[in-house]
Amino acid sequence: MAALRTTSRLFAATRPVFKSQTRAMATVMGTAKTGVVSPSKTTTAKEPAADADSKIKTFHIYRWNPDEPSTKPRMQSYTLDLNKTGPMMLDALIRIKNEVDPTLTFRRSCREGICGSCAMNIDGVNTLACLCRIPTDTKQESKIYPLPHTYVVKDIVPDLTQFYKQYKSIKPYLQKTTPAPNGKEYLQSKEERKKLDGLYECILCACCSTSCPSYWWNSEEYLGPAVLMQSYRWIADSRDENKEERKAQLDNSMSLYRCHTILNCSRTCPKGLNPGKAIAEIKKEMAF
Amino acid sequence: MKHSGLQREVLALYRTCLRESRKKPANTRLHFESYARTEFDKSIGLDKKDFGAIEYLLRKGQRQLEMYSAPGIKDIR
Amino acid sequence: MASIVRPTLLRQSCLKAASKHAFSTKPAATFPAINRPAASVLSKQVMPGSMRVAAFHASGRKLILPPLPPNEAAKVPEPSPSHGSYHWTFERLVSVGLVPLTIAPFAAGSLNPLTDAILCGAILIHSHIGFESIITDYIPRKRLPKTRKLFDWGLKLATVVVGVGLYEFETNDVGLTEGIKKIWTA
Repeated sequence: MAALRTTSRLFAATRPVFKSQTRAMATVMGTAKTGVVSPSKTTTAKEPAADADSKIKTFHIYRWNPDEPSTKPRMQSYTLDLNKTGPMMLDALIRIKNEVDPTLTFRRSCREGICGSCAMNIDGVNTLACLCRIPTDTKQESKIYPLPHTYVVKDIVPDLTQFYKQYKSIKPYLQKTTPAPNGKEYLQSKEERKKLDGLYECILCACCSTSCPSYWWNSEEYLGPAVLMQSYRWIADSRDENKEERKAQLDNSMSLYRCHTILNCSRTCPKGLNPGKAIAEIKKEMAF
Repeated sequence: MKHSGLQREVLALYRTCLRESRKKPANTRLHFESYARTEFDKSIGLDKKDFGAIEYLLRKGQRQLEMYSAPGIKDIR
Repeated sequence: MASIVRPTLLRQSCLKAASKHAFSTKPAATFPAINRPAASVLSKQVMPGSMRVAAFHASGRKLILPPLPPNEAAKVPEPSPSHGSYHWTFERLVSVGLVPLTIAPFAAGSLNPLTDAILCGAILIHSHIGFESIITDYIPRKRLPKTRKLFDWGLKLATVVVGVGLYEFETNDVGLTEGIKKIWTA
């Protein structure tokens, strides 16, 4: 993120050039667009409807600027023609940033659901903007918020420092002291490998953790579904030799046992994983 | 005068800033101190009941402090 | 997070680099081309073409940013199985055990003071654990230490009072099962 910020500053000088180019292109292609609307002046930034069959949809987006900390966060509305926008929420966000309001801030990287940067709360559900289709019903207005119960850095960018610190605390790497029997690599049987399916795919987007009420109340001490699932990923790994320490680390009232099987995590996971089951497996292993 | 919890937190942050600047080289310590002072002065006009803003600035200050108190940083301007 | 401070740092180090080179007035003669990334801009006129190319390729071995503070891991609490795994296992056992205990007296139709006592004890423990869980969930020790202490002791007191009450009910009155039966048919 830091790197992003600096590069964006470096690019700031060249930005006007790009903007004039896109505007020139737009007129050539016949999609008439008016100039950029300043977000501080208006609350609704509209895209004029060019054709009769355009599908205009409204997006309400959470805005908050850290440079003016005493102004309250507000919702800003943007309208887009769905015919000219890609199918996913992230396409809409990128289009708003490119063409309507460059001050809108959000994280995005891979736009295909593998980096976990664009996790946000869309229409009340934590999900990745790049994997969330825009509902084609234009009467329904979409609402976009940052991940719930996180400190906001800016607009829809949440502060995930605590989440990453907790991830670091479970030591998410292979711990092994004995050398490999063949001197080259640690082998696994197919069955042992199969145990890791549904665990290793997690991209740590924090959708599940921030949807968990237990994590909302006790995020300082409770590890949350994403981190616990990764913890189980290493407990279940046949090659890892530090299972007992890993389990001992969770053996207290807060780290693991604040999970009350609410299962919001499994319901919201944009990758279709099941953190709730992983947590249940840890509890089972610790119990007997 | 009795301070509220939030006020005490702000004062504690300023105090740690000064304390951390002691660990810097003697010839640049004043830079750190004046930097901390200007950072605090920036939001001196804040309404004291604007808890959200004050809490945000406290978190931000904590992060800045963490960053600048790293031993690799010798000077500030 | 780092973004708040990093750009300023970067600017500083750039400034530092630039100023250092600005002070040296005879760059082309004294320094080898490798150590002069920024100076190439200042002294383009005095440099021969070949050296300019070398200066373009060479980047000074300067740390652009000082090392960042390590992003520390969250603190790991001490293991205490009596609050962790044993507690959980015990809780589940009590919960599972309550099912037959509640059904048995009514299904069998017989009144046994022993099963009645066990049922009372199990219910007491079960509700104590349940309320304790609610308190740990909603009153974090970190934020509200005094309130937490108050509620913890309040719960202990309540459990004792309920325990005494149930004991009185069992010894001096009809007993739990019989009491429920009477209320049910009343």
